[in-house]
Amino acid sequence: MSTAIEINGLTKVYGELTAVDHVSYNIQEGEIFGLLGPNGCGKTTTILMLLGLIIPTEGTAIVNGADIVKAPLQARRNVGLLPENAGFYDNLNARQNLSFYAELADVPDNVAKDRVEKLIDMVGLGQKRDVKVGAYSRGMRQRLGIAQSLVRDPKILILDEPTQGIDPEGTRDLRELIRMLSKERGMTIIFTTHVLYEINKLCDRVAIMKNGVIAGIGTIPELRKQVNAAEGEDFEQVFLRYQGVV
Amino acid sequence: MAGLFTMAKKEFLDIIGEKKFLLIFATLLIVVLVSTFQGGLSYSSSQSTMVTTGNFTAPDGGRSGVQVFGSAQSLSRSLNSMITNFSLVGGVLAIAISFDTINNERQKGSLKTLLSYPIYRDTIVYGKYFGGLIAITLVSTITFLAGIGVFVSITGLAMTPDTAIRLFLFYGVSLIYMAIFLAIGLLFSIVLPSPSTSLLASMIVWLSSIQLIPNLGYAIGQILYPVRFSISNGRSTFATQSGFTTIRAIISGLSPSTAYENIVNSILSTSELQFSGNTPTVISINVTQALQSALPSLIYFVGLLIVIFAAAYVIFTRQDIR
Repeated sequence: MSTAIEINGLTKVYGELTAVDHVSYNIQEGEIFGLLGPNGCGKTTTILMLLGLIIPTEGTAIVNGADIVKAPLQARRNVGLLPENAGFYDNLNARQNLSFYAELADVPDNVAKDRVEKLIDMVGLGQKRDVKVGAYSRGMRQRLGIAQSLVRDPKILILDEPTQGIDPEGTRDLRELIRMLSKERGMTIIFTTHVLYEINKLCDRVAIMKNGVIAGIGTIPELRKQVNAAEGEDFEQVFLRYQGVV
Repeated sequence: MAGLFTMAKKEFLDIIGEKKFLLIFATLLIVVLVSTFQGGLSYSSSQSTMVTTGNFTAPDGGRSGVQVFGSAQSLSRSLNSMITNFSLVGGVLAIAISFDTINNERQKGSLKTLLSYPIYRDTIVYGKYFGGLIAITLVSTITFLAGIGVFVSITGLAMTPDTAIRLFLFYGVSLIYMAIFLAIGLLFSIVLPSPSTSLLASMIVWLSSIQLIPNLGYAIGQILYPVRFSISNGRSTFATQSGFTTIRAIISGLSPSTAYENIVNSILSTSELQFSGNTPTVISINVTQALQSALPSLIYFVGLLIVIFAAAYVIFTRQDIR
């Protein structure tokens, strides 16, 4: 298994605040990697730096073999992103929104048309494909966001709080989709969340962030071991230990 | 540049589908048609007055000089109302198109998605600006064709190559004028986080352009070189001072609206009146000479557009998208 993302000393400073502080780790191809931490711990900043949306103060990362600082365009060429609170063009329907993004990603017309329809069905919006997105509920927009992140058929998928606003059935469907994309397509998936249950259910490895630094990284058993968690101890307790709360 | 056409096309379609755009476009069209109609009537009336009462010496002598004076002065004066209205409503339309170009995308969360695609930030800023430019070009073309059509049908103005070139230059300068306000709106939409704030800031610039800067020019000119009112030989006269005129022209000319009106008036003026002793003489101005006299304002005008757009571009390409 080769390395999909290599993060080296990534740092972002805003005035007095160090949002991300010399973070370094690797993510392997085909891995489901969870980025866990409380609000403001630097998860989203890290993700946005990987995509060149935020320019690092120090350090860099190699994504798809390209340096995010020197060659941001190449770095994000095969990356799909579902941002937190993803927005769409409310005056367009699901099909038009996805077609626009497909065109932007330079997906050939004949491929894009078929892919857009399949993605809309896959995220359960088949009945609403011609309804303007302005009339969508938050959960429906989140489903459309997932379809958007897949429209360019990426090798790496980054999902920022993907289950936010989705009902339990949708959350379960999304989990299954993530597993399928990882197993069948070998896609590398990184997702941030507050929901420990999702981490437990899905992730091959997890990085726990605290105040901009990596407090712990590894598989769930490794993380438990690092803080000497008792057998049967809830993962929530483990997480709180990393945060220094208990 | 990959994605540029996609961005520009989407921006253009979004703009022309908006109600605010259609509303301001309709307003612009109406005020231009009304002003060219009035201007056309005034032109026709001045033509007949000039022909019957003219007694000036033309450069080539005889009545042809009277004709030149009549048509020359009236064309720029008759279209003056159209120029003023275009500078007012055209600026508002350009701002209405661009004031929320970037911050609206940022606020609704689609900017992060856009920038996660393998496209340069240049593509977004150029694409959105070009989309807006296409929209204002469409607006200007329709408005000009309609306005000039009304003017020609009322006045029976012969569309000589000289007149056609001058009107085409008028159209081109009007496009640059709207492009400046388009760039101002774009700049504020990048710098300011909320669309309502960027709208307010853009409107303050527009208001400064049409009112504040020209008034400031007048006030500063008066302070530095007071123009005195005097009575001599029972007749009232203004002892105008060249210092006042210069200061006022320099400061007022900083306003895009005043610069626009100065340039267009220069371009549309086909002659000017000069006095040698007590004899007024009409001097013809060809297009090249008209452009030469407008050149300083024209350079400032284009330079202003480049500076504002460059500022928007540089800030956007270096901005963190959080």
